[in-house]
Amino acid sequence: MIAPIPSGPSAAPGELPPVGVVGGGGFGQALANAMIRRGRKVQLWSRRRLELEGVESTQELGELKRSELLFLAVPSPYVPETAEELGKHLDGEHLLVHVSRGLIGDDLLTLSGVLRLRTAAHRVGVLAGPLDAEALAEGEPTGAIVGSRFPEVAAAVREAISSETLRIYESRDVVGVEIAAAVVGYLALAVGMGQQLGVSPATVAVALNRGLAEAARWAPSLQADPATLYGLAGQGDLLAVAGGDDRPEVRLGRALATGASLEEAGKAAGAHIEGVTIARRVDAHARKIGEATPVAGMIADVVEGRRAPTDAMAALMAREVGTE
Amino acid sequence: MPQASDPAIFWFNGERDDIVREVAERVAEDHGRSVGSLELALNDCAMTEMRRLDSQGDDEARRDLGKWRALSRQLGRMSEGEQRKAIREVTHRFAEDVAGNFDPRVYRMSIRAVPKLLATLMQPSQMPRALTAGQSVLDRLLSVEGETEKIKGLQQVGSVVYVPTHSSNLDSIVLGRALEQAGLSPVVYGAGKNLFTNPIISFFMHNLGAYRVDRRINASLYKDVLKTYSQVMIERGYHSLFFPGGTRSRSNLIENHLKLGLMGSALSAFAHNQTRGVDRKVFFVPTTINYALTLEAETLVEDWLKAEGKARYIIEDDEFSRLDRWVTFLRKILGMQAACVIRFGAPVDPFGNPVDDEGCSIAPGGQAIDPASYVRRRGRPTLDDARDAAYTRDLGEVLVRRFRHESVLMSTALVAHVLWRRIVAHSPRADLFSRLRMRGEVTMSKEDVVREVAELRDRLAELQAQGEVRLNSWLAEADPEAIVARALRVWNGYHTRMAAKDLGREIVAEDPTLLLYYQNRLVPFAVDVCGSEHERAAQEIAQLGVLK
Repeated sequence: MIAPIPSGPSAAPGELPPVGVVGGGGFGQALANAMIRRGRKVQLWSRRRLELEGVESTQELGELKRSELLFLAVPSPYVPETAEELGKHLDGEHLLVHVSRGLIGDDLLTLSGVLRLRTAAHRVGVLAGPLDAEALAEGEPTGAIVGSRFPEVAAAVREAISSETLRIYESRDVVGVEIAAAVVGYLALAVGMGQQLGVSPATVAVALNRGLAEAARWAPSLQADPATLYGLAGQGDLLAVAGGDDRPEVRLGRALATGASLEEAGKAAGAHIEGVTIARRVDAHARKIGEATPVAGMIADVVEGRRAPTDAMAALMAREVGTE
Repeated sequence: MPQASDPAIFWFNGERDDIVREVAERVAEDHGRSVGSLELALNDCAMTEMRRLDSQGDDEARRDLGKWRALSRQLGRMSEGEQRKAIREVTHRFAEDVAGNFDPRVYRMSIRAVPKLLATLMQPSQMPRALTAGQSVLDRLLSVEGETEKIKGLQQVGSVVYVPTHSSNLDSIVLGRALEQAGLSPVVYGAGKNLFTNPIISFFMHNLGAYRVDRRINASLYKDVLKTYSQVMIERGYHSLFFPGGTRSRSNLIENHLKLGLMGSALSAFAHNQTRGVDRKVFFVPTTINYALTLEAETLVEDWLKAEGKARYIIEDDEFSRLDRWVTFLRKILGMQAACVIRFGAPVDPFGNPVDDEGCSIAPGGQAIDPASYVRRRGRPTLDDARDAAYTRDLGEVLVRRFRHESVLMSTALVAHVLWRRIVAHSPRADLFSRLRMRGEVTMSKEDVVREVAELRDRLAELQAQGEVRLNSWLAEADPEAIVARALRVWNGYHTRMAAKDLGREIVAEDPTLLLYYQNRLVPFAVDVCGSEHERAAQEIAQLGVLK
């Protein structure tokens, strides 16, 4: 007989349970601060000890089991191992939301899928859209979307972070939201490349729009609704990119277009960029199911140094034009 | 009089009236929370029933049409109290129609009689001997494998819900027999009301706990009664059976689109019990029913291929309704060991977690997990339809994966796959229907067929070692030439069309449609087992998996 897990989330009578944040990077800290401003108790786990005012900081993942809602704000390569460790302390009552743009492996496994496979928590979701750490920290009017099959996950996120300056929308199509976030991640590289090359807004618009359209063709193979790509997590977030939010992916794209190596460009961007490897894996997946993804393929070629950005653009323009 | 140790179903007849009352009351109360909802439900019910009965024009119409017309006329003038009374009458009538029976005497008699009846049908010339040998004949034909010992233990600590794949109307019979053969309790299950008109089976259906599902009734009140009936039975500890595919697989593809309604009722039963402080566990057993020869293969595959396939959701004129087809079918499979394999897969809790022998749910990290935590919010068990719908969808995905891993492949699937793969390779760029018209056009040397079957079997055996699929035990050991000979023998003489013709040194793919049907079981594995020689054809075959 295996010993049961001792307990789930807990709170004093009449009080809301604390909210957990896994990851002490910029977004994790911004989330913690936003919730503190809303009067919630926050537990924050990070590898190095952090001192944030009003936040219960810890280096023990097990401590977070007292929280009901937990945000995972670690880069996607670390999500599987973090989820596995965290999973030892969770039960079915916990709500888990990740904020990553990653898709794992050649099968493009979504991170909500990873959370489901590695933890006992099934009420999982993703927070995506144009919300960034700066807007969260400064309370600028903006919006985000929670993808989850469980309405109570979106409700818990709203309860934790929504405010008069932050609108939280929801979608049942969790996989669609995750794919949209990942697609925006690599399309943002193209925006940076376009900026560096000085191309017109119309050129960027065509590349982004066709990039979304090709994603809408392969997304259903992962059980996603293609319409989700045109919502806040996809098109909405892309508008922020095109409008000049200068996120790390855009900076990386600019550096690559100067001829910098991936390593040098990564340093210039100053953050982990999920889109660097996703474009190639998306292209391979699409080929396997008989779909073409020329935009993702060209971005991957540029990232891997196989083509110069100008060649990639010329090759895209030379493709046969079809009906929309 | 049932014994205390007998499963819950032995006590069913004593509880039947109480169950019918509880189901009718619950559905009526759910709709009675607002006056608008009451009127809407009654109006929808009256309209859909009048439409149905009008088109039926039978005895039932003559009996009931007037009642619905009267209700429809009076509805607008009814007070809230009168509407509440009317909805209770309707739900009670529906619940009475749905509720089954269980007669322990018929159950015990059927255990003895069914094998003998089947054996006699198979060997009418040897009736006296067949009547005594029925048990062993059936046991030889039917192979039961999987987690039966674990399930026996789980029956003691919760409600067990079997969720099998569905290929034939014979499924509920062979599954009933398999449960008995494995020493497992009988189950309650919903059977299409059309089956109750089959003279062979109606008697047993009426007395073995089957509840009636009238697929002609579209009223949402009726569907609520069905779901609630299933839920109440599971809440009360009755072991149950649903076919989550909803209907027989027309294509013989392993089910990948499940209907979640009845599965959801099991989850709601668990949550409802938790809110009442009743800690009764619920376990789902993914089960595969695997035939070397499918009784209704020809009708089913034709139906799949027809554009109007969906319109024929209820097929009443297939091989199942013809005694002569039964006899031919049973005689055909008589000589075969394990012509039907029932595999009871690893049980899971309502949230898709595996369970140990004591019924404890196991988290991915290997620790025990309390299944009640999934229906708790802020420390208390709650009822939440949206949440439970999401859990049910998750569970459906787990079951689809389990079906694939627990499928047992038979000789006919392997030989059909090799021949169909050759048809595909022989006709690049052709569409499915062009290939189906290639009757007798593709021939393979027997040597090639045997070689490819051997390679295919060996690659499948490797997948089996990784837990990806199962091979029929006979198939795993058999000489490849014997596998081919057996498949040809099984097909030819039963189906009205010949699937493949043996010309001595060559084998002709005589009926591509039947070959497609039998090979479809292998579609999820086609690419994994093809080898470089057949890669292009295998990739095309894999695309069949996205068809419904």
